[in-house]
Amino acid sequence: MKKDSIFFATDSTRLFLPWMSMLMTFIAVLILATGITSYQAITNWKQVVSGALTVQIPTYTESGESRGQAVNQDVETALTILRSSIGVVGATVISDAQMTELMAPWLGGDVAVSELPLPKLIDVTLDSANHPNLAQIKTDLAEQVPSAILDSHRMRLEPLIKLSDAGIKLIIFILILLAVTASFTVVYATRTSLSAHEHVISLIHMMGANDWFLTQKYAVRHFSLTIMGGFFGFLLALPIMAGISFLIRGATIDFIWNPALGIGGWLTLLLVPVILSILAFLTTIKTVLGYLKRFL
Amino acid sequence: MTEKSKLNAPVAEFNGVSFRYDNGPEILKDIQFTLAPGSFHFMTGESGAGKTSLLSLLYLYHLPTKGRVRLFGYAVDELSRRAKAGLRRQIGVVFQDFRLLDHLNAFDNVALPLRIAGVKESEIRRHVSELLTWVGLENQMKSYPPELSGGEQQRVAIARAVINRPTLLLADEPTGNVDDAMAKRLLHLFLELNKLGTTVVIATHNEGLIKHFGFPRLHLEKGHLNVVPQNQYKDMASKLFNRGGAK
Repeated sequence: MKKDSIFFATDSTRLFLPWMSMLMTFIAVLILATGITSYQAITNWKQVVSGALTVQIPTYTESGESRGQAVNQDVETALTILRSSIGVVGATVISDAQMTELMAPWLGGDVAVSELPLPKLIDVTLDSANHPNLAQIKTDLAEQVPSAILDSHRMRLEPLIKLSDAGIKLIIFILILLAVTASFTVVYATRTSLSAHEHVISLIHMMGANDWFLTQKYAVRHFSLTIMGGFFGFLLALPIMAGISFLIRGATIDFIWNPALGIGGWLTLLLVPVILSILAFLTTIKTVLGYLKRFL
Repeated sequence: MTEKSKLNAPVAEFNGVSFRYDNGPEILKDIQFTLAPGSFHFMTGESGAGKTSLLSLLYLYHLPTKGRVRLFGYAVDELSRRAKAGLRRQIGVVFQDFRLLDHLNAFDNVALPLRIAGVKESEIRRHVSELLTWVGLENQMKSYPPELSGGEQQRVAIARAVINRPTLLLADEPTGNVDDAMAKRLLHLFLELNKLGTTVVIATHNEGLIKHFGFPRLHLEKGHLNVVPQNQYKDMASKLFNRGGAK
């Protein structure tokens, strides 16, 4: 006699729970994979853009005339604005020597950069933890140094980062919703099975089976059915993920977006059927113990 | 109460017990009796007199609506769920409708109480085979209840009730579907258990058996219980049979 055949010779949960688990895992894995990839992308973006920005002060007008002493005045004003702004750790002008070094690969090492129409560059170091207000810095520079150009990836990416952050919160919410739905489904399946086997349960109860004897039979069975369906759901999600990864790989910015999940990501995805099964196990225990209270 | 005094306590003690189903009429009224350890009683009464209800109080399926039931010295209304389960494992029940599990074969049906009690599979195989052979079902061990006759099902139900040597054995019409020879054979099984210390209560209409074995009766009439001692019953039975004439 199989250990669980006391109850489950004919039981609809045998088919229902694996299907439910497969579907839930399939959806959860896809959503979680999207979440992990998005999180990795956002983290990369933040690392790329959070550290620094550059301010350019043009040395020539648009018509090609030298701006002369006005450049130095603009540089001083810009430095004052930058150094007094919140979240700015430092602002330094890149010297002619540093400019020569930077341009050497293209122009050679013996060029007098001061004679070229290159802008003066101010290297600004930011402290991300101190929440620099780039919009305010931009406004201040535009008012007092109209010629200054603020060059920041962060300003372009910030709305995207905010959107992605909201997307991750939405993904977490959907995963919680899936877990709650799975729990309700397990409760429904368990109650259906308990009602169908009431005569068996009543008899076994009368023979002196304690609550845990009955409960663990249900809990272990539901755990195994859920984990079996869950791993099928996981396997089913793999080709879909491969397809999405392929599409993303062709359409993204190479140094920021990395569609590979990494070992941690894959382990997290593998945990989905396990967590779902543990959830089914605990939900079943609670449901069966509640049901058994109707018996003396 | 110490464990020793529990061991010496009456198997069952009913004090002013009444019982009704939900808001229905009172099925049992002010029941008062004691079952001494190792005693053997027949339970008699017309259909609907409350025999099955009284048995259900004895096997802890219901609690009385009034009064107090003590089993093995314990007031059942004060026991925890775990303790009640422990008491139930000391009680064997033969149900009138057998209540065999159709998806288990005869062997597994009989093995059920042992599996619940956590007995080793090797011991289960030995004990169940022996008992099924004893009740004449050695060739039906692998048969499922729907494949068995009424009498065979009844014997499986009896074997299931006695397999773990209960302290209290309750049987509701255990010989209703078997011939007289098998009825006496089954009663002898109950007697063997009784000799080993099991307290037995058998609800039956079988006057032949009652007369043959002559044990005291718990007689129910309109919800009231009358305990008829062995000798008095024998006198009453002989008067009844004499009046009816020898046919």
